[in-house]
Amino acid sequence: MVEENENNSAEFMDAKKEMDKLVYESLKDQEIKPNAVFAKLSELTKAFPLTKGIVNWSRKNSLWPMQFGLACCAVELMDFGAARIDAERKGYLLFRGTPRQCDVMIVAGWVTKSMVPEVKRLYEQMSKPRYVVAFGECATCGGPWWESYNIIKGIDEVLPVDVFVAGCPPRPENLFAALMKLQKKVGGSIED
Amino acid sequence: MSIVRINVGPVHPSTHGVIRLVVDVDGDTVVNIEPHIGMLHRGVEKLAETRMYMQIPPYTEKLDYMAPMSYDEAYVATVEAAMNITVSERAQYVRVILLELQRIASHLLSVGFFCNDLGQMFTGFMWAFKDRDIILDLLQEAAGSRMFYVNMRLGGLREDLPADFEDHVLQTMNYMEKRIPEYVNYLEKNPVFIERTKGVGVLTREDAKQLGVTGPVLRASGVNYDVRRNNPYYVYSKLQFTPKVLQEGDNFARYKVRMLEIQESIRLIRSAIKLLPEGDAKGLPIKLRSPNPVNRISIVNRELPRGECMMYLVADPQKPYRLSIRSPNFINLAAINHLAKGGRFADLFSTLGSLDLVMGCVDR
Repeated sequence: MVEENENNSAEFMDAKKEMDKLVYESLKDQEIKPNAVFAKLSELTKAFPLTKGIVNWSRKNSLWPMQFGLACCAVELMDFGAARIDAERKGYLLFRGTPRQCDVMIVAGWVTKSMVPEVKRLYEQMSKPRYVVAFGECATCGGPWWESYNIIKGIDEVLPVDVFVAGCPPRPENLFAALMKLQKKVGGSIED
Repeated sequence: MSIVRINVGPVHPSTHGVIRLVVDVDGDTVVNIEPHIGMLHRGVEKLAETRMYMQIPPYTEKLDYMAPMSYDEAYVATVEAAMNITVSERAQYVRVILLELQRIASHLLSVGFFCNDLGQMFTGFMWAFKDRDIILDLLQEAAGSRMFYVNMRLGGLREDLPADFEDHVLQTMNYMEKRIPEYVNYLEKNPVFIERTKGVGVLTREDAKQLGVTGPVLRASGVNYDVRRNNPYYVYSKLQFTPKVLQEGDNFARYKVRMLEIQESIRLIRSAIKLLPEGDAKGLPIKLRSPNPVNRISIVNRELPRGECMMYLVADPQKPYRLSIRSPNFINLAAINHLAKGGRFADLFSTLGSLDLVMGCVDR
């Protein structure tokens, strides 16, 4: 009986693998052939290497930031979207309410330990390719709260950051410069 | 019908800060609201115990990031009370001018966010930010920075006002006076705005007293209380300040009180500039050793844009033993369950916007 039980557990372990395999195979049958309309952009660039430039160009000119503010820097983030700076003129469309429509996450403000899981979850919900801008001192290195017991010292401990913006808080123009730098990176003219 | 539990947040839709609300609804009617706070907690009071006196203003400023100058002043006034330092007369006038400018900027923001809370009325939001930027330019001229100033020193300010500052302020006040009727025209003739604010989230006079709410929320419920009049500091009694009080206690009254306070602030700034005496507004420069405090315990209360703030300081030589802050936002947040219970779920955000919370101040 004991042996059987062991066998059962082993089978159960295998069952998960088998299930994955089955799912994978069933998907394999339904795989969509490269199609000009419904293909993933990565497949398109693989099939036609010449389109890579077009894809990068279109990506870099429609960076959609997420409406995600944590603390003081969020006020400057909103100023960035408001009338004086007018982020939309460069293609950073009005801040989106859902992470699934966004390309850029601007972490504005200090990140507490209780907020880390939420920030991570929002990042994981964004569609690839996704970029992170650490906006302000608190998101860069902890800022004035670096001695506090409830703050993580920089969002780069949790997420991969593309651009850091210095200042407490940075001026909205500074964020503009950061996003233009990010555009260059997305467009391929800067290597990481 | 069974009760459904809905989670709102932790990222608040209009980014007053990070708050999580657990809302129980019966159909579309709110039965109970449980606010979960602490998402922005960073231990300001504890950090203050490890810093010297004039190292703390950058921390207290970041409590209420919509009106940093007010908290800056509230903390420095507490230290001045502990050290028995008197503020020169010119510095008192200059502080009143800067505080009232900050109040206008803060109230404009609150009106703009309120429009945003009511469902993407983005015109109000854009207007508010545009006008706030003009005020911030003035503050930048006086203090050297856009949002966080650290401009107050013991017994005065970091620097006296720059040349031509008074003219710039008067010009801006003329401009603001023209703008206010435009806001009023746009918002108070808007049927959507009226529908979603009038008669929603009513707080009666008795309940307001019981809940201990402060600031515009209290004054919108018909209680005539303002620290600037009841316990006047600096030169507010000379400027003949009168609080703005409305009786209705609904969301519209809370918005209207802020609009009236902007007009009152414009009047205060004008008369303060008219009476501005000659002299020196400079305070003590920040040095390694500050003067030692004389009083062990000092308590100071101030009327911030969001309500009455109280600072309690137990002083040790060179650094505080304990700094405790009575935050107006924390107490106003406590009223949300009372206000939104029994209303529609969609009106919850209208009510939350009218309270004008800053979560950085709630969590501390």
